[in-house]
This record gives sequence, C-alpha cells and structure tokens, in this order.
Amino acid sequence: MNINSNRKYGWTILMALVSLIYLSPLFWVLSTSFKAKNEFFTYPPVFIPETINFSHYIHGLSLGGYQGIINSLIIATGATVFSLVLSIPAAYSFAHHNVGGQNLSFWVLSIRMLPPVAVALPIFLMYRNLGLLDSYLGMILIHSIIDIPFAVWLLKGFFEGIPYSLIESARVDGCNLYQAFYKIGLPLVAPGVATAALFCFIFSWNEFIFALILTRKSVMPITVVLPNMIGGHEVLWAEIASLALMASFPVVILAFLLQRHIVRGLTMGALKQ
Amino acid sequence: MRSKLAYIASENFAPYLFVLPVVIFLLLMTVFPLVYSLFLSFNEWNLAFGTPRHFVGGQNYLKLFNDPRFWNAMLNTGYKVLIGVGIQFLLGLGLAILFNRKFPGKGILLAIFILPSILAPVVAATTFRMIYNYSYGPLNFILDKLGIGTFNWLGSSALALPSIIAVDSWQWTPFMMLVLLAGLQSIPVEYYEAARVDGADRFQAFFRITLPLLRRSIAIALIIRIMDAVKLFDLVYVLTNGGPGNSSETIPFYTYLSGFKHFRMGYTAAMSYIQLIFLIIMAQLFLRIWKQGEA
Repeated sequence: MNINSNRKYGWTILMALVSLIYLSPLFWVLSTSFKAKNEFFTYPPVFIPETINFSHYIHGLSLGGYQGIINSLIIATGATVFSLVLSIPAAYSFAHHNVGGQNLSFWVLSIRMLPPVAVALPIFLMYRNLGLLDSYLGMILIHSIIDIPFAVWLLKGFFEGIPYSLIESARVDGCNLYQAFYKIGLPLVAPGVATAALFCFIFSWNEFIFALILTRKSVMPITVVLPNMIGGHEVLWAEIASLALMASFPVVILAFLLQRHIVRGLTMGALKQ
Repeated sequence: MRSKLAYIASENFAPYLFVLPVVIFLLLMTVFPLVYSLFLSFNEWNLAFGTPRHFVGGQNYLKLFNDPRFWNAMLNTGYKVLIGVGIQFLLGLGLAILFNRKFPGKGILLAIFILPSILAPVVAATTFRMIYNYSYGPLNFILDKLGIGTFNWLGSSALALPSIIAVDSWQWTPFMMLVLLAGLQSIPVEYYEAARVDGADRFQAFFRITLPLLRRSIAIALIIRIMDAVKLFDLVYVLTNGGPGNSSETIPFYTYLSGFKHFRMGYTAAMSYIQLIFLIIMAQLFLRIWKQGEA
C-alpha cells in the first residue's frame, strides 16, 4: 500500500519535472520581462532579475502594445461572432437535413486546409479595390474563412449528438423548423457553441500572415506589433517579453476553460476525447 | 398565396436557407479570389514597375520550374515537414505513453503541457529569439558550461533551418501527445490483459495492439500537422527572415516575398497554385480517412 502510493507520487514528480523542463523557455520570457536594461546584454546571462516590477509591461503597452491588444480583441471577437452566426444554422442543417450531401460539407471543411499565403495575394488585390485594407471589417471577414469551416464541422458533430427523435417530437407538437432549431437544437448544443467560440477566438488571436499583409497601422493586431518591435528596437527585450506574455494571457485562460474539449477542437471534431 | 410563401419559407427551404449564407460567403472569399489568381498565374504583372498586365500563357510556371530559389524553398519545406513532423510524432508518442497511466495531478500537468500549442507561433518565435541569442542567450550559456560549445543558431546557414524546426517541434509536440494520448486511452485495458494471459510481452503488446488500434489517431494527427507544417511562415518570418542567404526560406515565405516584396503578381499566383495542388491532394487523403472513421 505504502510502496504503491510512493510509486504513484514518484510518477507525478517525474512528469512534473518533464513538464518543467519542457516549458522552461517560457520561464526565460517571464524572467526577461522583469530585467533592467543592464541585465539582458550580459554574460553570464541573468536568470533571476534583481528587481521584480511591472514597469516594462506598462512601457510595452505604451509602445503600441495596448493598441495592438485592443485591435486583436476587436478582430477576434468580431470574427468569432460573425463565424458563429453563419456556422450554427449551417451545422444544424448539415447534421439533421443532410443538405448538399457529404460533398458540400466536405467542401466547407476543405477550405480550412487552404494555404493562407495562396489566398492572400488575390484577397489583397480585392481588398485594395474595395478599400478594405487596414480595416476591422476586412480582418474580421478574412479570419472568418479560417473560423467558419472549423466551427461548422465542430458543431455538426455536436448537433449529430442530439437524437433526431427529440427534434421530431417537437415538430409533432407543432414547432416549425425554425422553432425546432432554436428551441430544441440550439440549447442542447450550447457547450459545443461555447467550445467553437473559444477556439475561433484563439485562431483569430494567433493568426499572423493575413494580419501582416492586410493591415498597415490602424488595425494592426498584437501578433504583428510584436515582431515589428524586434526589428525596431532590438534593445527593448524586456518590453517585448512582457508584451509576448500579455498577448498570450487571454489564450492561456481560454485553453484552461477548453480542457475537456481540446482534442476534439484541435482535430476539428475528427477525434472525440 | 401569402400563407403558401410563408409555408415554403418555413418548411421546405429552411435547411437550404440555413446553409446558404456560409456557402455564399465562402464562395466570395475563397473560390472567387482563387479563380482570379488562376487567371493571374497566366499573366505577367508587376505592381512595382506599374507595367500593364499581359497574357503570357504557361510562362510563369515554366520560369518557376527553372527557378533555383523555388526549388531551394521546396526542398527546405520538404525537409522541414519530414524531419519536423517526424520529431513531433516520435516525441509526442513517447510523452503520450508516459502520460497514459493514472497518477495524482495528471489533469493539471496535461493542461499546462498543452500551452506551447495554444500560443501564437509569433510568441513562440519571439521566445526562441531570446533563447537562441548567440552572445547573451541561455542556451549557448548552458551548452558552454557543459563543455559542448556555443553555436550560432539563427545566424549560420547550416543551423538556421534546424533551429526553426526545433521551435516548431517544441510548439506542436504537445498537440501530438494529446491526440495520441486520447487514442491510447480509448483502447480497452482488457485487450492488454488478454494479451498478457496469452503470454505476450510489452513489445508485442505495443506493436500488435497499441499501434494498430492507434492507426486512426496517428493518421489524423499526422495529416493535420503535415498540412500546417507545409504552411509554415510565422516562425521563418520572426526567427530568420529566410536567412542567412536563402538557407531557411520555405515555400510560403518565398511566395510572400515574391508577392509582397517583389510585387510579381503572376509569378506569385503560379507559385500559390503549385501549393494548392499539393494541399488538395493532402485534403483528399484527410477526408478519406475521416470518412472511414465515420462509416
């Protein structure tokens, strides 16, 4: 009994150690974010900075980080809402009415696999003519082509999990199709909608190449602000590190909320946990 | 009449109305631009020179096949996919096996372990810009103290691409691990017990039970990773900018340069189409495996 429980905790310690080593690069970012100017260009490198204060965080925010984070928030939220409004009814229809057979839904899925750089050129030319370059709307629309195929497929799986008999009996009771959808179907897939929403937000928040090509200044998200700072002020590593951490904070929180569904989400519903 | 219209709207067409917005949106945002860029790929058009667009037939594709920089980028991408995804798979499988048992704190450790795969690739790249720093980075310091020596991780043409692959692997091994772990956990324990009764050792059990039953998880994880690895751009942009020279340039990065730095529209469109063809093949493979699992 005693030996058994020792072995149990032994494994915990071993795996905690493995995790600690694996994530150690992130500790370096954390430590760098607190370093004073004379602490990052030194040999041997400083592992633990002398003072812990958040002055670099504030300075980083004032150097464009704040606007970048706000822009990311607006774009990611907009893309999430827009994608879900379009995806939820489509997913329901694919799951329970088999509209367009398998081909249509697989076509939607295949959009997810498009290489962004191949789409970026014609979209750039199109946006130039439509005046959508460097606009929130343009970014929300382009991120939605990443989010929608994902959301449709994830939600299709959730809708398929509702027994069709439930919807049928609602119809017998006098609901029309719209009522059956939003009174019966929708509430039952609420966890699925939440999962899809969080993932859409993360994808949009982390996206880089479309943002790099389609934004200039006013709507530039944090993923583009960050590398620009490396080029611009090679010296300000503490500000860069603190911005990298602040940029990661929202997605880390979301990932914790998503834990139960993370495999299902990351594989677009192909694998259920 | 009015009630008839209402009936049609409410009943027969509702399922189509539900799908229509998505279809129209995706047609406008992907199919239309791609048709346009197919057209562009048969034209010569340089935005920087301001010369008018003119039709050149298949010349862009011909030029592409004779462009050593294109082949260098192809080779780098292939190398990156093969080695990178290979490392992620093997490490991921190893870690999944380590995590595939009951121990206290497992849930929390797993939740922390997945973090690299959740972070923006730009953040991962920024992190490793600091780690790889030749003079002040902790990696060279540690290697030097261990007596191994110091390396110019991002500044030498021999190491730049492997250094990028290492960051990509750091980021995506947890994803592999989690997907494979989910697969491992779905294998009933009884199978292993039966195998033990029949006298199978650990290795036999692994190759005869674990691997065959993990096939679908492995296939899906590999294909998702390969599709993403082919698109690799962010890390190259932040870590090396394709350099030194062209030594770490990947196909998406070269496409970006030719489109948005050299403004060669037709040429870029042609390059995009080569990637699209490859992606279509991969997507077909993925969908076939998916359908197999659903049947």
